[in-house]
Parts: sequence; C-alpha cells; structure tokens
Amino acid sequence: MMIQHFPILAIMAYFLAAFLIVVFGKNRTVRNVLGFLGTAIPLCLLIALAKPILIQNQIIAYWMGNRVPAGGYAIGIALEVDAMGLFFGLLIATAVFVAMLYSFSYMSHDDNEPQYYTLFLMLCGGVMGLVLSGDLFNMFIMVEILTFAAVALTAFRNTVFGALEAAFKYLVVGCIGSTCILAGTIMLYAQAHTLNFAQLAAFLPGNLNLATMVAYALLFIGFCTKAFIVPFHPLAADAHGAAPAPVSVLISGVLTKSGLYGILRLTYILFRTMNLGTVQFWLVFLGSVSMFVCVTMALAQHDFKRLLAFHSISQIGYVLTAAGLATALGVSSGLYHAMNHTLFKGLLFLCAGAVLHETGTTDLGKLGGLSKRMPKTTVLFLIGAFSISGIPPFNGFASKWLIYQATYQKAVESGSIGFLLVTVVCLVTSTLTLASFVKVTQSVFFGQLPKEYDNVKEVPFGMRFAMGILALLCILTGLFPGFVTNYLTEPAARAVFGANGYIDAMMGSGYAEGFGLADTLPVSFANVGIWSPISWLCLLLIMTLAVTIVAVSSKYDAVSKAARQSDPLPLADLEAATAAYLPTAPANPAPRYATGHAAEGKYELFFGGEESVYSQVGGDDMFWGFKHNWRHYFSFMHELHSGIVNDYALWAVIALALAMLYAMIIL
Amino acid sequence: MILLNYIASFFLIVLGLYCIVVKYDLMKTVIGLSIMDYGVNLLIITIGFNPGGTAPIYTFGELTPSSFFVDPIPQALTLTSIVIGACVTAMSLALVIKLREMYGTTDTREIRRLRG
Amino acid sequence: MTIITDALTYLAYILIFPGFLFCFLSGMLLCGIDRKLVARMQKRVGPPVLQPFYDFFKLLGKETIVPAAANKTVFLMAPLVGLAAQVVLQLFIPVFSFHAFRGVADVIVVLYLLLIPALSVILGAASSGSPYAGVGLSREMVTVLAVELPLVLVLLAVAKTVGNALGTGLCFSLTDIVRCQMENGSLITRLSMIPAAVAMLLIIPGETGSHPFDAAEAETEICEGMLAEYSGAPLAVYKLSHAVKLLTMTTLFTALFLGGIGGGVQQLVSGLAPSLAGGIAIVLEIIILFLLSVVLVAVTVSFTHAVTARLRIEQLFKFYWTVVTGLAAISVVLAWYGL
Repeated sequence: MMIQHFPILAIMAYFLAAFLIVVFGKNRTVRNVLGFLGTAIPLCLLIALAKPILIQNQIIAYWMGNRVPAGGYAIGIALEVDAMGLFFGLLIATAVFVAMLYSFSYMSHDDNEPQYYTLFLMLCGGVMGLVLSGDLFNMFIMVEILTFAAVALTAFRNTVFGALEAAFKYLVVGCIGSTCILAGTIMLYAQAHTLNFAQLAAFLPGNLNLATMVAYALLFIGFCTKAFIVPFHPLAADAHGAAPAPVSVLISGVLTKSGLYGILRLTYILFRTMNLGTVQFWLVFLGSVSMFVCVTMALAQHDFKRLLAFHSISQIGYVLTAAGLATALGVSSGLYHAMNHTLFKGLLFLCAGAVLHETGTTDLGKLGGLSKRMPKTTVLFLIGAFSISGIPPFNGFASKWLIYQATYQKAVESGSIGFLLVTVVCLVTSTLTLASFVKVTQSVFFGQLPKEYDNVKEVPFGMRFAMGILALLCILTGLFPGFVTNYLTEPAARAVFGANGYIDAMMGSGYAEGFGLADTLPVSFANVGIWSPISWLCLLLIMTLAVTIVAVSSKYDAVSKAARQSDPLPLADLEAATAAYLPTAPANPAPRYATGHAAEGKYELFFGGEESVYSQVGGDDMFWGFKHNWRHYFSFMHELHSGIVNDYALWAVIALALAMLYAMIIL
Repeated sequence: MILLNYIASFFLIVLGLYCIVVKYDLMKTVIGLSIMDYGVNLLIITIGFNPGGTAPIYTFGELTPSSFFVDPIPQALTLTSIVIGACVTAMSLALVIKLREMYGTTDTREIRRLRG
Repeated sequence: MTIITDALTYLAYILIFPGFLFCFLSGMLLCGIDRKLVARMQKRVGPPVLQPFYDFFKLLGKETIVPAAANKTVFLMAPLVGLAAQVVLQLFIPVFSFHAFRGVADVIVVLYLLLIPALSVILGAASSGSPYAGVGLSREMVTVLAVELPLVLVLLAVAKTVGNALGTGLCFSLTDIVRCQMENGSLITRLSMIPAAVAMLLIIPGETGSHPFDAAEAETEICEGMLAEYSGAPLAVYKLSHAVKLLTMTTLFTALFLGGIGGGVQQLVSGLAPSLAGGIAIVLEIIILFLLSVVLVAVTVSFTHAVTARLRIEQLFKFYWTVVTGLAAISVVLAWYGL
C-alpha cells in the first residue's frame, strides 16, 4: 500500500530539500521553489494520512528496509504513526509551511539565505522525524538534529543584541537535556534490550525497577528541556527574543510540541505511569507553575518577542496541566490547546516579526501608534491576542474552557481541593495574559506614533498572507470546536490512552496481552456544558448590527465629517476654547486656529490646556497598581533570572536530581 | 572490571555537570560538555560489553544460538553519539569565538545581557 | 412556519426582552435612581430620575470628534461592540424561571463575556492615543485583574454548592443554578454562601467602576481616563453600556444568590388559572427582578458612593486580592466540604 510510505516520505522531503538547497540554493527562485516544495509536500502527505488514521483509527507501522520483527524482537528501525503522532505532525507541518511562506519576504534582506533555509528545513525534518519515529534512539538523533538547527538559527542574525549569548545558553542547557535523553535511552536498552517503542511499551510497565525509573526521570527531564517547562523557561525567552521571527514560530510552535509529544509518549504509552496519583500531581504542578511564573515574567518584560516567548511557555503550562489530569477530557482539551498554541503563538510571533521588519525594533518603550501605519497587521495581531487571552469566540477560549472544566471535573472526582486551586490558577493566568496583551496593544499598535516611524509602511503581501492563514485558522478552530474535538483531538486522546493498540500494530496483534497488559483507562469525553460559538456569534453579530444601525441613523459619525470639510471654528467646543487661551499663544500666534488650521486644533488630543506633546503611555508604565503589590515577587524573579548560564545549568541539574530522587521514591 | 566502568562513567558525567555549573569560563563550560559526553559514551559501551565475547562479525550461516559476542547495537550508538559530541564541541567553540569578539571576555558572569 | 415563529421569538428576545429595549430602559432607570439616591444621601436635590435618558439623547445629537491621532475604525467600533456584548451577556442571565438562551448560559462563558465590554473600552481608549486614556486603561485593566480572582472563586463556590444539591458534583449552567434554587431555596440562606454573597456585593461596584473603585475613570486626576477623547454618540453608547452593566451585575447577583424568590412567585401564581399563571408569573418576576436590582444598586453602588472616597489603584488591588478574595475563599472551602 502506497500510504505506508507517506511518513518516511514526509520526513525525507524536508531533509532532501535541505540538501538540495545547499547544492542549488544560490539562485533565489530555485531556493524558494525548493523551500516551498520541501514544506508543502509533507503537509499534503500528512493530510492524506488524516482519513485513515484520525477517522478510521488505523495505525501505520513502517519498517525501514522492511526488517519486520522476528520472534517477538524488533530488529529494524521503525516509524509508527498513530493518531497522536499524526496530530502533532499535522500541527508541525502547518506551522512550518506558514513560517516558510513568511520567510520568503522576511528573510529576503539577510545575507547567507541558503544556509538559513537549510537549517530551517533541518529543524523541520528533525521535529517531524521525532513525532513520527517508533524508535527511541532514532528519537534521540532527531532531538539532536533539531537542537543544533535551533541553536544555529537562534544565532543566525549574530549581530542582533544577545543572539550569540542566547544561542550559547540554549546550546549548553539543551545539550544537558539531550545527554539526559541519551543516558535514559541507553539505560532502557540495558534493561529491555530493545529500542523499539512498542516493545519497550510492552516490557516496561511490568518491569519498573530502579534502573528503569532512573531512565524515566532522565527522559522526562530531557523532554522538559525541549518543551521549556519551568526550570528551563529562561532559555526559551532568550532564544525566541533573538531568533528571526519565523524561527521563533518554529521554536515556540514546533519545538516545544516535540517536547510535549515526548512527555505524553513517555508517561502514557511507554511507562503507563499516569494512573499513579503522584505522577499526575507532578505534571499538574509543573504545568501550573510554568503557567503562572511565565505569565508574571511576561508582564514584566519590555521586549515584544521576549514577552511573547514567556507567554509561549505559559500556554505550554496549560497543555501540561491538562495532560497531567489523566482524564479523557483533560488530554483532549490539552491537545486542543496545544494546537491553538501553535496557531496563535505563530501568528503573534509573525506580527512581532512584521513590526521588527518595518521599524527595526521590538522594544515596547520605543514603539507606539503603529495601527495608523500598519492597520492590517494590527487586525491580525488583535486576532492573535484575543485568541491567546481566550476571548470568545476565538480558539483560545474553546480550549481553555475545556481545560477549566477538565480541571474542575477532576477536582470533583478526586475530591481534592488542590485541583480546584489549579482551576483558579488557570482562570487568573488567562486574565493576566489578557493584561499583558493589552500592554502590547497599547504600547505597540495604539497610542501615539513616534516621529521616527512616520514613514513606516504596511508589510509586504507575502508576509500578510502567511499571517492571514494562521489568523483564519485561529478563527475557524474557535468557531467549530465540535469539529476539532471530534476529528482531531479525540482520536489523538484515544491514541494516548490506547497503548495496547500501539503495541499490537507494530509487533503483531496479541503481543501486548502476552505481557498481561490491558487498556484499563476509560475513554469518555463527557463535557460538562455546551459551548456553541456559532449561536453566540450570531447573537453578537445581530446585536452589533442592530446597535450600529441605530447609531448610524442617529448621525453617529456624520457630524464630524461635515465639520472636517467646512472650516468655521466651533468655538463652543471646549477643547478649542481652552486651546485658544494657551499660555504658548504668543509663540504660536492666532492663525494656528484660524481657517486653515481649524482641523488641527480641534482634532488634537485633549491635554487639559497644556500644549500637546508626544506622550505615549508605554509598556513599562502600565499596571502600576498590580506591579506595586507584587513588587517583592517581581524583584525576586528578576534576581533569579540572572542571565548567567551557570545558574540555568544549575537549575537543570537540580531538576534532574529531584526527578531521579523522586523516581526512586515512587518505585 | 565492569563495575569500575560504570563508576567511571557516572563520575565523568557528574564531573562534566560540575564543570558546567561551577566554572565561570566559556571554554571550561565547553570542556564540561565534552566530559559529560565521554561519560555517556563510556556508559553505552559498557552496557554492550560482554566479558569474553567475540567481535560481532558474522555471516548468516555462522550465526548460531550458542555464539557469544558483544552487543553491536551500543557500539553503533556510541559512534553516533561521538559524532554528535564532536558537533556540539565544534558549534559551541564557534559560538565562543563570536562571543569573545563581541563581549571581549569569556567570563559567563559578564555575558548576561539577556536576563530578568 | 415554526422557523418563522422561532425566529420572531428570538428576535423579540434580542430586541425587546430581555434584550436591547429592556436593558436600555431598566439600565438607564437604575442609573437615574442611583444618581438620585446619592444626591439625597448627600443632602442634595439631585437630577430627575429620568436624567440619564435626557443625557443620552442629548449626546446622540452632539458632534462626534475623532482625534487626528486616533485609529478611526477601532475608536468608533469599540463602543458598539462593547454595548452589543453587554446586551448579549444580559440575554444569558436567566430571569428566574424565564431564560432566553438556555444552552449557552454557562458561568465560565459569563465570566469571559464580562471581559469583553471592559476590553472594548480599553481598546477604544488605546486607539484614541491620548495619554489620559493610556493611564485610564492601565488602571482599568488592573481593576479587571483585581476583580477577576474573587469573582472566579464566587462562581466556583456557587457551582460546587449547586452541584452538591443536584448530585452532579459540579454545575456551571446558570439556568440549572437558578432552577436548583427555585426548588431548594435561595443560596444566600445557606451559611456557607454568605461570605460569597458579600464578596459578590463588593464585586459589583468594582465591575461597574463606581466609587470607591473608580480609579480608572477618576475625573479629577485623569479627566475620565478612558473616555477622555470620546464625545457625542460614541460617548452616549458608553454611558448606555455602563448603565446596562449595572443591570447585568445586579441580575447576575440575583441569579446566583436570590434565585429562590422565583420559587415563591411560582407558588403564588399556582392558584390561578394555568392560562393566566404563566404570563402573570413572568410579569411578577420581571418586576421583582427590577426591584431587587434597585435595592442592590442602592446598597452596593449608591451607598458606597455616598460614604467613601476614591481608593488609589494599588489599594484597590490589594483590597480585592485580600479581603474580597478571602471572603470568597472561605465560601469555596465551606462549600467544598459540603457545609
């Protein structure tokens, strides 16, 4: 069957395109065509796989060189694609495709473009290989490929502030993570004498001894570094901030997903430890801490991309929390949020890239008022910001709503008030997210336009097109949550709980029963309430329409236009009246408000009688009331994120030590 | 003999981590990464080693259930791992050179523009 | 045929009751009563009760000025969307036994819909480019943050208590919450819910931005903050939005804590002929709802307005995250252990 070959072809397309760009990439057209094909072909292949895997529930097991298992032992290297793998694969392929489209115009001013595309495609291939792989060592190789590519891309614009530094920190801590994965892999091999997922998944649940549990801890920490879960979050912030925007999309939307995928695969399928209350507790705890710490860190940032990077980890925290609940609704909602995270975070990073592309800075203190110069980007940004803050009817709301219900349901089922606290943390984090996006909106897109950005233009169509795709997806997945849950997240969640099917598909049916394993976890997706965004949106639209009609018929805007065309000065207007008595009147004599300049005076901002000056309320000036109450916390966090690579490495080592200790205790 | 190998490999890994955490010099950090890598390589090789086994070179006809040889898979893994280790070193050294050019120092305490 | 009647019914819901017209009339009336009450408490004569209506129509006739620095589309659309969201929210809140849109009436949805009007004001203010508006929106966002935590806890406490009563463990549906109270008596009569009710009473002035929690639109310091640049019809829409918010918050309180009164009404009309009973019950319920709203506004908005001075924004935040949150948390814990 042809379809068996699709996964390997999808992976190879990326690597082949990367190779061909090295060889033929001098010419821009050839390069762009290769890049386009290299990302479009895998996307098509994976979409073709959607029907058999997501709807018909098949699992594709592919043995390289057709070395099928003999005597119950997997000898060859395998690819295995189940619904979870394909779900992540589709996400990745989509994000990568859009980022590639965006790169065509965004990177066109950089030198060394061929190298950029090569690294870009290597990174894509690495992530795709990771999620479709059925072999632990293969997974490690892919982790290394993507780490290298990500580090190199972070430092790609090596003259940018902090790029090299970020790349080095990422390399050091990323390598500690990769080494953990390798050590874990080899320890599992020593116990099970196999590297194949299916065989490991059959062997491990009945053989939890000291060595396998230490391996578990090592692998877990390794994947945490890839997903930037809490002790590793500063790396994400550094790397995203310095990397070019499309690469930020890859790091936040794609690379973190590979870490999440690893954690899910590890805890649910390989070790099946999710029925242990302590493991659930730790996942939820780590998720909630990531969620909260990163959103507060984001509030304190004054760089657009760095702020987005912290949000990225905060949203990953939601996913981990939901996945750690170990209920069908929890996993399904977590995957839903993972998908939404890729979409809206990709969109936001691309918007930040657009701002950087046009103005040359992402410093929130220097920007302002860009909505007048870049109206389309502003609209796209607002869609992304509403999505991430969970404003209905955008997609963030649909998934967060499911997560709240999942956590609350878990709290009720388990009778533990701790999970209730998690619900509260989720809800408050969501509002804090909204707050920091209000800050970005005010300090980048609204407010007053600084003089130096007076001739800023809208970004080229190619970039807007890429952003538009993501914005459209954000809206569609928000409007049709039923479709998404039925066809995407629920099959994937079933695959998460269906480890036996995974084993049997690869090793032959009945293999899992031979080890005395049974899928015990019930898979029911009972929702607590019904959210029908369509009816809600209809209501809102009808209402807005009604209000608008009433408003327009009552000369909502008409008078203003008339006044702008005719010149007589309406002195009754308080603003103009006070302005006329300005103390600066001599310097700026009467004609200022005479016929020709009437509009100027009248339509200027109100300054209570002072002369109007440039006065933007920037990002650092916002939310004083909040920051003041939390000042000790903020200064503590600021001290903690010292920027010294040794400290971050120390956090990694401590996390590793704790995880190993913990693994030994729960044994 | 085997036990000594295990002890040595864990010692190397811990030494590497210690070096990364404690030494405030970029070069030493890179060295720490390498040491950690060697430790893992030693671990892999040790796991595949069977005392008294022969080299795992057989044709299909020669392979019988009684043949006793060292496990070839870890050796293949080690080769891959060594290659990756070399890449890590090369890449980190390249970054160190550029960092030194830009910051004028290799002290990690000075290279902290991104923080907070 | 049924489609047309259904459509007409829904249109009536949206435009007349409990939608636009009802919101407009009762919201404005509440606003007028509030102003009158405050004036009387301060020994002033005060404006007539219908003053908000006069203000509204007068503002509609005034010129609309869009500042040159503003993003015109956002500046003009924000008030409209905010008002629309506010009215939609009102549609989701059941009036005792009557509910216009049952399926979507969910506590968490309501929580998020409450954000949209605030967000629209914030965006409108941001788009004006005025520094006063900038300061104002920063404070408004902090107020929203401050109110959010206790509000979440209040809603969770209610959801848990009702869930216990219904035996489902948790209940997020507002219609079910009201129905449960109509059968088992108002929640406020339970000891465990009293702290939550008090917290909710304190949340009402915070959400509506009235004294002493009006740092966001402090007229004396930042010239009404977010509304500094608004004039004419958009300003009128904002004033209307604010009035509707008064109604929404008080009816939400009624739905969450005083739903049992609906049961009393049902008993009262049960002796009448069935053909009459339904109609009379609804009329009675609307009247009771409005009277309750007046009482709640008098207690939470007018009285506090008259006796307090404005809090600074960081004091406001601290107040909500300590005192009010503490009250709500007590309720959550009590409800959790089934008291």
